[in-house]
Amino acid sequence: MLQSDYNKSEKVLSCAFDGHLDTNSCILINNELNANIDIIKSADETAALSETKIIFDMKGVSYIASSFIRICVSTARQLPKGHFSMINCDPFIKKTFIIAGLDELLKVN
Amino acid sequence: MEESNIEKTDQLVSRAIFAAAEFQQFNQQQTDKVVEAVYKAGLNARISLAKMAVEETGMGIWEHKVWKNVIGTQLVYESIKNEKTVGVISDDPVTGITEIAQPLGPIFAVTPVTNPTSTAMYKILIALKTRNPIIISAHRGAAKCTAEAARICYEAALAAGAPEDCIQVIPSGSRDFTQMVMAHPKIALILATGGTGLVKAAYSSGNPAIGVGPGNVPVFIDESADIPFAVSNILSSKTFDNGTICASEQSIVVIDKIEQKVREEFEKQHCYFLKPDEIKKVEKIALIEETMTMNPMVVGQSVDTIAKKAGITVTEGTKILLAKLSGVGKGFPLSHEVLAPILAFYSCINYNAAINLCLDLNYLGGIGHSAGIYANDEKVIMEFSQLINAGRIVVNTPTSQGAVGGTFNLLVPSLTLGCGTGGKNITTENITARHLINVQRVCRRRINHKFMDANKEKYFDESCNEAVLTLEYHKNH
Repeated sequence: MLQSDYNKSEKVLSCAFDGHLDTNSCILINNELNANIDIIKSADETAALSETKIIFDMKGVSYIASSFIRICVSTARQLPKGHFSMINCDPFIKKTFIIAGLDELLKVN
Repeated sequence: MEESNIEKTDQLVSRAIFAAAEFQQFNQQQTDKVVEAVYKAGLNARISLAKMAVEETGMGIWEHKVWKNVIGTQLVYESIKNEKTVGVISDDPVTGITEIAQPLGPIFAVTPVTNPTSTAMYKILIALKTRNPIIISAHRGAAKCTAEAARICYEAALAAGAPEDCIQVIPSGSRDFTQMVMAHPKIALILATGGTGLVKAAYSSGNPAIGVGPGNVPVFIDESADIPFAVSNILSSKTFDNGTICASEQSIVVIDKIEQKVREEFEKQHCYFLKPDEIKKVEKIALIEETMTMNPMVVGQSVDTIAKKAGITVTEGTKILLAKLSGVGKGFPLSHEVLAPILAFYSCINYNAAINLCLDLNYLGGIGHSAGIYANDEKVIMEFSQLINAGRIVVNTPTSQGAVGGTFNLLVPSLTLGCGTGGKNITTENITARHLINVQRVCRRRINHKFMDANKEKYFDESCNEAVLTLEYHKNH
């Protein structure tokens, strides 16, 4: 459901999602994502998240619950503007973010 | 304070938008599963919610509110359950047009004190059927029972897989907050059922609105009518929940020739014609003098309670109070809408005078709403119907139940009745699920040969008038 990889030298956390991201799976995703972010914070206290970029790869995602939208917003808000982005969105998923009014804030592509 | 309301509004609407974003991914099967679950939960709660509504509002009769809850759940559900509301809803290979249903987005629904739980559940069902999240603003006099109806529906919806926050209720009491939510740019539609002020506020918000306000239902009993049947039907409607349905009869109009028979029938069926001094007493408590709007104190009250408040004596078991009036409007307070078991009664010299009086009543605050006629002469029925300005002209049927639909006729069951442009509405229809979708049309190429094959030069020739161009257009090549 979530595979993450942190490139320390480039300070990029890549998270690849897969499948049907309903409310229940979002609870697990949220926990896992927060754990990753905590690791980054503890690994580089001086920079914290100010230089980190987070990319959500949505290639295998067929459905997102509103909880996942909240996760995206919450993650993006921890970063400087423009440091959060989404890639490989299915058009139906992109439309979901457009309806939520978040496609620009979250850099959905 | 205002800052706080802005924040509250943004949070509320954001939650609804997120729900809308999730909801638009649902297919028809997932949507119908949610609607079915909500319908079942609402129908199962019909009795407790009815009792709660009567206890909280002090209006109406709980057994009748049970029926209203049944209309708002079972009848509405049965009318929409097989309707296509997701994706392709029609496909015509001849015209090449395919219709696709899209949800609107967050709906802001205002519910009335008179039919609180039934209206809330009906609006929830049609909103969910169309994949629209709904934010409910209850009348402050019915806040608890409306919130309870919404809670029951929401829990059922969630259990069936609906998005979080697909149903939200805003606390009652703050008019400013309600108006801010109404005017929020992300609200897709306002579905307002209530008084004139509320409907005006909805239309002034800047957002699309279906606002349904008051009626003032005239009922004409023609000489061709079956009088005992007509009176019995009027009673079953006007006494239903103590007259709280806005489509309930307000005035009965007859011609002099049958007046006595109609009066006797009303009296036989336990109604009471007020004496002139009693009419004055009832007028004082039934309407607010300054505005000529009904007094909430009498809305949904029984005849006994109204009689006590007015200081008049009536026989126990009296069903309706009738006031014979000689005019409409100024000087005749009871010619206005009163949602209580009180009826104005008119007798006119002839048919034309009677219909003219019905028109006066129709235009006294009830334009576009509903009207009734009892007749067995199709010519009379059609003439009356073409003259009167009403979305529903109910024939030989109790107007409360008839206008709401689903029981005495095949009108779509609804607790929000469109009143057309006369009532500042975009439609005269009974509002249902299909009013809550945007229909997109995929239009495949189908050439209009009449136009394409016409000699275009003629259209630029000043000497070619309309007759020439009509001939050219219809030319059989």
